[in-house]
Amino acid sequence: MSDERGIPRREFLKSAIAIGGAAAFSACLGREEVDVPTGPDDLSSYPQRQHAWNEVLPRDDHGNVIAPSHRVLLYLNYRRDGQPNEDDRDQVETALRGIEHAYERSGDGLLLTVSYSPAYFDRFDDSLPDDVDLPDPEALAPFEEPEFDTPDAVVHLASNTAQVVLGAEEALKGNKSTLNGVDQPDAALTDVFSLADRRTGFIGDGLPAENADDAEGVPADKVPEDAPLFMGFKSGFKKNQASEERVTIQSGPFAGGTTQHISKLRLNLNQWYNQDDRWQREAKMFCPYHAENDVVEGTGDNLGTSSKIDDCQPTDETAREMGVIGHSQKSARARDDDDSPLILRRDFDSTDDGAASLHFLALQRRITDFVDTREAMNGTDVTEQSAVGQRNNNGILQYIRTERRGNFLVPSRSLRALPPAQPTGDAQEVTHESS
Amino acid sequence: MNRRDVLRVAGSGSLVGLAGCAGLFETQSAQAPPLPENRPDAVYYPTHYEGMKMPGMKEQGGYRCALTYSYAHRFWLMKPNGITKVEIQSEDSIHLMPVVWETHTGIIPPDINPQLTITQSGDSIDQFAPWPMLSQPMGFHFGDNAQLKGDGTYTVEVSIGGPSTRRTGSLAENQGNASFTFEFEFSESTLNEISYTDIPDDREGTKGAVDLMDMEMLPSSQVPTPDALPGDVRGSGTSGDAKFVVTILEDASRFGGDENQRYLAVSPRTPYNRTLLPMMSLSGTLHRDGTSVFDGILQATIDPELRYHYGATVADVRTGDELTITVDSPPQTARHEGYETAFVDMPDVQVTL
Repeated sequence: MSDERGIPRREFLKSAIAIGGAAAFSACLGREEVDVPTGPDDLSSYPQRQHAWNEVLPRDDHGNVIAPSHRVLLYLNYRRDGQPNEDDRDQVETALRGIEHAYERSGDGLLLTVSYSPAYFDRFDDSLPDDVDLPDPEALAPFEEPEFDTPDAVVHLASNTAQVVLGAEEALKGNKSTLNGVDQPDAALTDVFSLADRRTGFIGDGLPAENADDAEGVPADKVPEDAPLFMGFKSGFKKNQASEERVTIQSGPFAGGTTQHISKLRLNLNQWYNQDDRWQREAKMFCPYHAENDVVEGTGDNLGTSSKIDDCQPTDETAREMGVIGHSQKSARARDDDDSPLILRRDFDSTDDGAASLHFLALQRRITDFVDTREAMNGTDVTEQSAVGQRNNNGILQYIRTERRGNFLVPSRSLRALPPAQPTGDAQEVTHESS
Repeated sequence: MNRRDVLRVAGSGSLVGLAGCAGLFETQSAQAPPLPENRPDAVYYPTHYEGMKMPGMKEQGGYRCALTYSYAHRFWLMKPNGITKVEIQSEDSIHLMPVVWETHTGIIPPDINPQLTITQSGDSIDQFAPWPMLSQPMGFHFGDNAQLKGDGTYTVEVSIGGPSTRRTGSLAENQGNASFTFEFEFSESTLNEISYTDIPDDREGTKGAVDLMDMEMLPSSQVPTPDALPGDVRGSGTSGDAKFVVTILEDASRFGGDENQRYLAVSPRTPYNRTLLPMMSLSGTLHRDGTSVFDGILQATIDPELRYHYGATVADVRTGDELTITVDSPPQTARHEGYETAFVDMPDVQVTL
């Protein structure tokens, strides 16, 4: 289906997310023929874990969770100096409930989290409890020099329906009196916060190829038409993801929450698609064994529920004998005693600023878990002892550049509106009059 | 004859009549001449070689960086089972080479992979991490073809991070990040002033190499002659057309051992030009009277005196010891023409010490 100007419908929808605003939202309404159910009047049955998305997301034939297609990250600064007051907390909670009443909690409806940075918690006299591992962001490789994100909060909006993400954003900004037929409260998130940054993106079969024209650094005709990510391969296999339980903080006043690391990675896919060949792409994304044995068909849907890293040789042996190691092969080394990965990826591609990039959003119980995973991905231990270079033949490090990093705490639902650093029992049981 | 004339004669005869058709002609002139037939599995004379230009040099944090460029090049990337040819794309404007070296020693560290960001009036033009490469006239360098938007002024930022190869001696201190910013005035006509030398048909594809460019102000990526290596040089061998020189240092304390141990150093280099051969996996065994006295990896190391080499600490070395050097992975650097068939299949090297 095309509109009058001949832009394919899906292409319009992804561009609309990147542009944002009321006009993009209205245009979406006319083009997306969907009827998203409204949310319930009583939200008390919603899970305490803000990050509990998997149960309401669709799964593919193998049982892998299909990540929501359209995303917006709103980076926010609290307008008030010092500690937040109860009025502001009410305002934030009221605004969030407004969009939750408007759209059901589902893949086609709205999924969201609200998270807070170490800089936000610095405004309290108390420090965060010991159960919470939330350091300031730092460079995570000897060869990167990222800028650090220090806004107070990040709201992550996600949906398979573009208009839901845009509509929710507009309502949070106070620009909607009704949303999806539901009256919106007289409370805007932007009365309490100023918008520091807005990042957008997409993930899902075919979306990167459709978006490739918008971005520098990605050969539009080379991204496979069915690939869910710019680099051409599927990710987020069930067995390569930590469970929501694994990433949940287990004790203390923030039990039920999780930590979130968001990095912005710039992609250079000219070398990836125009210089490397398929063998190299497969070897560098997965491992040389996969490339040698044609393990990966197309984007890798045939792999089922894992990237089949058990078939690869140990990383150090591959590095010595093949001179090249795979990204999945390296990263899989970061596992706990139960052989579980440490992080839950909820990343997505982007054409923000006209450049192909990846917003690598990951959830983990402790930021340390992310640091350990990234260290495994750096392969610095391997490069010292083999022909594998700092970037050269070292997974996908040749093609990504870390531009920004930020750490956040995703508290449990009852603490999502401007939480204190040391919640008391009372604070956990925030009572809120449902609007 | 200038480059354009050479190319016209070499491979694009049918286009001579279209010389007035600028677009078509430019596209054709971006290509390189056909490769020599019957290339040996050894270093060989390429079809041609080119000069380069240096728009600027900067210094920061113990490093110097020169920005250099030449015509866009074809080259090859390494794979465990062969090589992948990278053709020049029609959008490629130049081959861009940021040469970074350690100020005090003049060593070009192959492990510090620069990142390039090219902008024009604040707009992003291109960004990439150039490949580590071997070329006969340039030696070891980082480079890749860059896609500019025609004549104009560009800002090129070269940033480097910390090392990832072991360093010894004074080099161990240089760990920091640095970045260098260049204003780069590019024009097609200036590019076309770069020298282009054809190699006669009867010479191209035969064993040999063109000399390293005489690069004023730039250090060389050569390793020392055997005579100039520290320690007791005990022999050498060849594999895949590379030469491996073995030297034994009396005191291993600088290399993680102690003063009673020996340091066994292997210094591989290209034939003819003595260019360093980095990014290999090497291991070695030392046999004495039929018994193994050492079996382990030879770790890539950068030392102010030995320069880039591979080595291991051993208890002792005696006359008549049999050293076997195994190339577990050949140099994983990209290759320019004349080097892509050498240093690929590399059998063991035997040296009697």
